[in-house]
Amino acid sequence: MIGAIAAHQVLSLRRQRTFTAILVTFLSMAAVAGVIGWSSHRTIVRVYDEAVRMLAARGERAPANPFDIKPPLAMLSNMAIYVPLIGALLALIVGHLSFADDQSGGQGRMIFSRSVSRSTYVLGKVAAAAEVLAIVLVACLLIGAASLFVVNDRVPSIGNLARLGGFYALAWLYLMLFALVGMTTALMTTRRSVALLSAIAFWLVLTFALPQFTSGLAPQASLNPVSDPVSSSQRFFEITAKARPFSVTEQYKAASARILETAPAESTAKTIGRVLPIAGLTGGLLVIAMRLARRRDYSRSGADD
Amino acid sequence: MTDSTGTGFDSAGRRVITLAHHEYRSALRSRIVAILVAILVVVTAASVYIASTAYRSKLADYEAYRSAAVAGGLAKIAPSPLRLLSLLEGAVEYLGIIGAIIGITLGYLSVSRERTHRTLPLLRSRPVSPGELAAGSALGALAVIITLVAATAVMAVLGLGVIGNDWVDGAQVGRLVLIYGAAAIYMGVFFCLGAIATARASIAVNGLMFALGIWLIVALILPQIGDTLDADNQVPGGLFAALSLNRADETTVLKKFTTYETIRRDIEEASFSKHFERFAFAMADVHEKYRGLTVSELLSEKHNDIIWLVVYPLVLGIALVVVFRRMPLLT
Repeated sequence: MIGAIAAHQVLSLRRQRTFTAILVTFLSMAAVAGVIGWSSHRTIVRVYDEAVRMLAARGERAPANPFDIKPPLAMLSNMAIYVPLIGALLALIVGHLSFADDQSGGQGRMIFSRSVSRSTYVLGKVAAAAEVLAIVLVACLLIGAASLFVVNDRVPSIGNLARLGGFYALAWLYLMLFALVGMTTALMTTRRSVALLSAIAFWLVLTFALPQFTSGLAPQASLNPVSDPVSSSQRFFEITAKARPFSVTEQYKAASARILETAPAESTAKTIGRVLPIAGLTGGLLVIAMRLARRRDYSRSGADD
Repeated sequence: MTDSTGTGFDSAGRRVITLAHHEYRSALRSRIVAILVAILVVVTAASVYIASTAYRSKLADYEAYRSAAVAGGLAKIAPSPLRLLSLLEGAVEYLGIIGAIIGITLGYLSVSRERTHRTLPLLRSRPVSPGELAAGSALGALAVIITLVAATAVMAVLGLGVIGNDWVDGAQVGRLVLIYGAAAIYMGVFFCLGAIATARASIAVNGLMFALGIWLIVALILPQIGDTLDADNQVPGGLFAALSLNRADETTVLKKFTTYETIRRDIEEASFSKHFERFAFAMADVHEKYRGLTVSELLSEKHNDIIWLVVYPLVLGIALVVVFRRMPLLT
């Protein structure tokens, strides 16, 4: 039955063209990330060459090219920013539509006239979101691999492909967290706008507010894959840094930087330790969604706008 | 709302004010607006607190240096490199992101409230023109925005004084008025966007989603792309600093990349949020380039951003009146 509910939900997203819109947006994100990475890298190498020529004319020695130490996957680091920025909002919408549509369209009442448990219903919806997000991320992975091939003029190594796969697996988990935020808020209220805006408020807190509290990261600094380190020696941070493991956006960015090798290496156990809070919060939200679905009154349909 | 005693202009004005009152009270009663405002206030307080704490110790260091220099009879004392208003950088960025969402939410609620409660046909059965309805909604929302912006500004100034141990002077108050005035206009533009998108959509929540999509592009994606394409932002600490190049060298090198720089700048120019941010940052002394300029020099330097800050509200304000005029009574 979980499969049937999931298949129906995927079909519904396809009929509403939501699936196409999400797929196109994600593919555009991957393509833009590739183009920006390629274009900025190419320009910066030329800027460096120009600087070397200028310094040589003055008889000065040029410093080492700061890009020589950049790993091959660094050109895709913009994608790591687009996932929490655009991807998370799209995942919120996927989660929101999963339940809000059934409420406003009255399908919920129809579904529960059959012998379907609330847990099965929620798991079916979660499976549908998982499937949709997995499909779009696999497509993004293919675009990423193609970008690497075009820019480097050679087939990416197995190691780099594995790292790319690891990054997209992490991105999937992170997006599932936000799909569940969308589902949970849709189950908490019958007002669609309140549900959607509450989910966005939650996203704002996780994406911008928590990193500010735990690491002093200014909002715009969160948008650039390369940001200057922030002094966090204040007493304030000594206290708030304890909550840093729960700042899931920071943990996602740190883990993806390690996977893409754009940050100094660390042990695999430490990187897994960064992923655990994301998995924990996702699991917690799944439990909350199931409880909320159990209490929900599906005898009334037609959600408020 | 009806009035027959005053002149036409008087009664129209009174109707607009009554509608604005209604809008103001309804917005303040909204729980979701309260949640978004609470988030904005908390993050603003945190960013000012963090910046002010660091500033306080730097200020103490400078004062110690100054006292020692005076005691030692030093003829030339280096001026303070600290800029108090630059501590508002984070607060301005939050207004750019969360303030815009609050504006959209106010616009959305303004239209959807009348639709959900089916009060629009009732309102239009009274002698209220679509223009008055648009003006009343916009005026009420602007009052909410001004209240919120003023509260944020007062909180920031108190934070600078109490935590940063430095109080703003008269000239800085003038700059703050310009920064927060621009913030109110900026949020007002997003109010219009939210109201227009909702009024045009057959299902109100789809209008909200559309407006949020525009916000995402304008407030986050375009500035992000422009920022990422900036050669200097590719290396922590700055590419030109890593290559030991000064400002003049940087300008000379970048002259060879005019097409790239033009494209990058045009991408940023397309973002209304970037214009607000550039204007506010210049007034707040965030970038060294503008430090030392008077307010009139800054206004002249930032005339391009000012033009955008005037044109957008005008265009969207007119669009709001047009959309309200065409809005179906029953949906």
